[in-house]
Amino acid sequence: METSITAGPLLSLAVTVTSEQHVESVLRKIVEGLASLPGVALVRIWLLPSVHIPHAWQEGANSQDAIKHLRLVASAGNPIRSPGEDWSSLQGRFSRFPLNIGKVGQVAADRRPIFVKDFAPQDTWVVRPEWAEREEIRSFVGHPLVFQEKLLGVVGLFSRRTLDEQEFTWLGLFANHSAVAIANARAFEEVAERQKGEAEVRVLASGLEAKIRRLVEANVVGIVMFTLEGAITEANDAFLQMVQYSREDLATGRVVWMDLTPAEWRPRDEQAITELQTTGIFRPFEKEYFRKDGSRVPVLLGGALFEASGNAGVAFSVDLSEQKQAERALRRSEAFLAEGQRLGQIGSYSWRVATGEITWSEQLYRIYEFEIGVPLTLDLIRTRVHPEDLTLYEKMVEQARNGEKDFEWHYRLLMPDQSIKYLHAVAHVTRDQNGQLEYIAAVQDVTLRRLSEEARDKARSELAHGARVMSLGTLAASIAHEINQPLSGIVTNAGTCQRMLAAAPPNVDGALETARRTIRDANRASEVITRLRALFSRKETAAESMDLNEVTREVIALSLSGLQRNQMVVQAELAEHLPPVMGDRVQLQQVILNLLRNAADAMSTIDDRPRELLIRTERAEGNQVQLSVKDAGVGFAPEAADQIFEGFYTTKADGMGIGLSISRSIIETHHGRLWATQNRGAGSTFSFVIPCALERVADAETRVNRSGTSADAA
Amino acid sequence: MAVPHPMPHSFVMECPKGGSRNERPLLSVVDDDRSVRESLPDLIRECGFAAQVFSSAEDFLSSSSIDETSCLILDIAMPGITGPEVQQELKRRGQEIPIIFITGQRDETIRTLMVEQGAAGFLFKPFSDADLLAAIKTALNSV
Repeated sequence: METSITAGPLLSLAVTVTSEQHVESVLRKIVEGLASLPGVALVRIWLLPSVHIPHAWQEGANSQDAIKHLRLVASAGNPIRSPGEDWSSLQGRFSRFPLNIGKVGQVAADRRPIFVKDFAPQDTWVVRPEWAEREEIRSFVGHPLVFQEKLLGVVGLFSRRTLDEQEFTWLGLFANHSAVAIANARAFEEVAERQKGEAEVRVLASGLEAKIRRLVEANVVGIVMFTLEGAITEANDAFLQMVQYSREDLATGRVVWMDLTPAEWRPRDEQAITELQTTGIFRPFEKEYFRKDGSRVPVLLGGALFEASGNAGVAFSVDLSEQKQAERALRRSEAFLAEGQRLGQIGSYSWRVATGEITWSEQLYRIYEFEIGVPLTLDLIRTRVHPEDLTLYEKMVEQARNGEKDFEWHYRLLMPDQSIKYLHAVAHVTRDQNGQLEYIAAVQDVTLRRLSEEARDKARSELAHGARVMSLGTLAASIAHEINQPLSGIVTNAGTCQRMLAAAPPNVDGALETARRTIRDANRASEVITRLRALFSRKETAAESMDLNEVTREVIALSLSGLQRNQMVVQAELAEHLPPVMGDRVQLQQVILNLLRNAADAMSTIDDRPRELLIRTERAEGNQVQLSVKDAGVGFAPEAADQIFEGFYTTKADGMGIGLSISRSIIETHHGRLWATQNRGAGSTFSFVIPCALERVADAETRVNRSGTSADAA
Repeated sequence: MAVPHPMPHSFVMECPKGGSRNERPLLSVVDDDRSVRESLPDLIRECGFAAQVFSSAEDFLSSSSIDETSCLILDIAMPGITGPEVQQELKRRGQEIPIIFITGQRDETIRTLMVEQGAAGFLFKPFSDADLLAAIKTALNSV
C-alpha cells in the first residue's frame, strides 16, 4: 500500500478525468479518485453556480445567492468513526460557502491555495473541531480551480496523514488539470445542449414543415418559392405542369417570372411586388402565364414574403382554365339565347311583385323600343301600351299582383311613330330565392302574324258560306269581291278567246267554249246582285241549320277591332256542344251585332270601371239556345224594360243598324224571345232564346229562298 | 289542320326549265271560285304552260302534283285553309314553289303583307291575261 500521494495515481486519475464529457462525471471521478488515495479522509469540490449547478440543486437555485456563493457539487470520503454519515452527500452545513468565509471561501477569494499541514483542533477556522478530532484529520489542502483565468471553484482535501510539500505540489498540479477537465466537460455539455436544442427545433420545424409539405406535394395547387428579382427557386409538380416546364428547367434556372408573364400583365405584377414590399403579402389576383410552348393559361396567384423586409417568398397559383372555359360557355349560351330571342322576336322579363323589381332581356327592350338598360318601371311600360289597351293592361297587372297564377295576355303597343305592335305575353308564377312572388314571362311580337290573321279572318268571315253581316264600308268591299269572281272569269275567258282565235290555225272550238263560259259568268254576276239586294229586304229569309257559336264568333271577329278601339274589354263564354238552331244567319248576325253596338254605346261614357262586355251562349230550358250580351254601362230604369224595344226609344242611326225593335221582330220570327234585364252590378244584359233545330216546326209563313248558285266551294 | 304529307322535310323543290309534262312548266291553280277555276286553265295552256286546278287548299296539299308544280296560282281567301296558310305549310315542308296570289278583295294592306311574306306575284281580280303572263314569267324566273 502506498503511503503517500504520488504522481503515478494522480496522473492516471487525470487521464481518466480528461476523457469525461459530462461535468458531473468529472467531478465525481475527481473526488472519488482523490478520496481513494492513501490517507485521504474527505474530498470536496465547490463550484460557482455559473459554472455548474448540480441537478440536486436546480430546483432551489436562487440567482441572487448564486453570485456570492460557492456551491458544493461533489463530495467523497472515507468516514472511520461516523457511521451512518454519507460523505458523498451534498447536503449539510457546507453545501454553500460564501466567498471569503472559511478557508474554502478564502481560497476562492484569493485564488491562492491553502495548505494546512498540521492542524490542531484549537485552530479557530475549524468549524467542527469535534469532527476533525474524531476522524483524525491532520492536514487540509484547498486549491482554486482556475481555467483561463476564470475561477471555477475550489477543491478541498482532508487528509489523516500529515501531507508534505511534495504532495501539496502534486495536488496543485492535479487541481489545475481538473479545472481544465471541468471546463472541457462543460464545453462539451454546452455543445451537446445546443445540439440538442437545435435538434429539438428541427424536429418541431420538421413537424410543421412536414404538414405544410403535404400541401405542396399533394399538388392540388401550384406552389413556388420566388425571389423579388423574379427568380423561381423551387416549385412543386403542379406548378411545373401548369406551365409545362421540366424539373430540369427549374434546376437550371430557366423558369423565370418575367418569361412566364405576358407583357400586358407586367404592370399587374409590379403592383403585386409593391404590395409585397409594403405589406409582406400580395393578395390573390388573376393573370395569365405563358407555358413553355407559348400557349397561355389563366391563373389565380397569391403569396407572401418569408420575412417582412426580405427578398424571398412563397406563392400559390391555381389553374383557372376550367373556370374560364365555363365562363366562355356561359357567355356563349347567353349569346345564343339573346340571338334566339332576336330571331323569334321574343323578349323575356322577370317581375318581383313585392319589390317592383323588373328585369328585361335585351330583346324586350328592342320590342318596346326603349334604350337597352334604361331603368324599368310600370309607369314607363305604360307609356308604350296602346291607350285602348291600358285598361286591359291594368287588369293584367292587378290580376298578377293578387292572383298567383300563370297568365297569358294579348295586348298592343303604340310606338312613338304611331305604328302598332301586337304582343303576346305568357307568364309563369314562381318564387324567388327569398320565397317572394315572382313572374317569369316571355313576350312575343306577333304583329305580323296578327295582321295576316286579321286579314284572313276578315276575308273569311266575309265570305263564309255566302252569309255576311257588314257595315257599309265592308259591304261595298264584299260586293266588289263577289262580283270580281265572275268578272274575273269573263276577262280571263275573253283573253283566252282572243289567243285561241289568233292562233294558226285558229282554235274555234276552244273560242266557242270560252264564249259559253263568259255567258255563264255574266249570269253569275247578275245573280250576285240579286242576292245582295235580298240582304236589304226583310221579306225574304233564308232558313238553315247553324251553330249559334260560329255565327257569334263571326260577328265578334268583324266587330272586335271597332270595339277595342272604344276600349271595350270583350270576353266570350260560348258553351261547348251547343245544339244547332234553325234560322236566317244574316238576320241573326244583325241582331247580335245590334246588341253589341248597344252595349258599346251604353259604356261609351264610362270611365271609372273597365268597359267589360260579355257575350255568352248556353242551352236554355225547353230545348232552346240562349245568347246574352252583358255590359257594364249606364243601364236603364226598370220601368223602361219593355219600352226600350218600342220603336224610336233611342235613335241611333248607323247605316245598317236596325235597332232593338227590329231585332225583337227578327227573333220573334224565329219563334224566340228577346228581353233585357238590369245587372246586379252596373249595366244591363240583353238576351234572346231561339229553339233548337230539332224542335223547329215547319212554318208555312216562313219562305225558304235558298241562293242556289253561289260562287263557293263545292 | 293536319294534311297528309308524303314528302320528306328536307326535300327542296327545284323548278325545272321544262315541265315534267311535255317539257312545259306546270302551273297549279287553287281557288274556291268556280269562274276562276273554269277560266284560268285554258288561258294558262294558251300561254304555253301546263295547268292543273284544285278547288281547295287541302286538295292541293294532299295531291302528288306539288312536286311537279313550277308555279302556284293561289287564291287568298278560301274557306278552310287559306292561301297564306298554304304558303306557310309549303315553307314548313321546305318546298319553295313561287306563289302568285290572286284575290277579289281590293285591299292594299294585304298585297303589301303578302309581298313581304315572299309572294312571287300578286294580282287583283279581275286581271288581264297580259298581267297574268307577266306575273308567271317573273315567278318562274325568280327560282
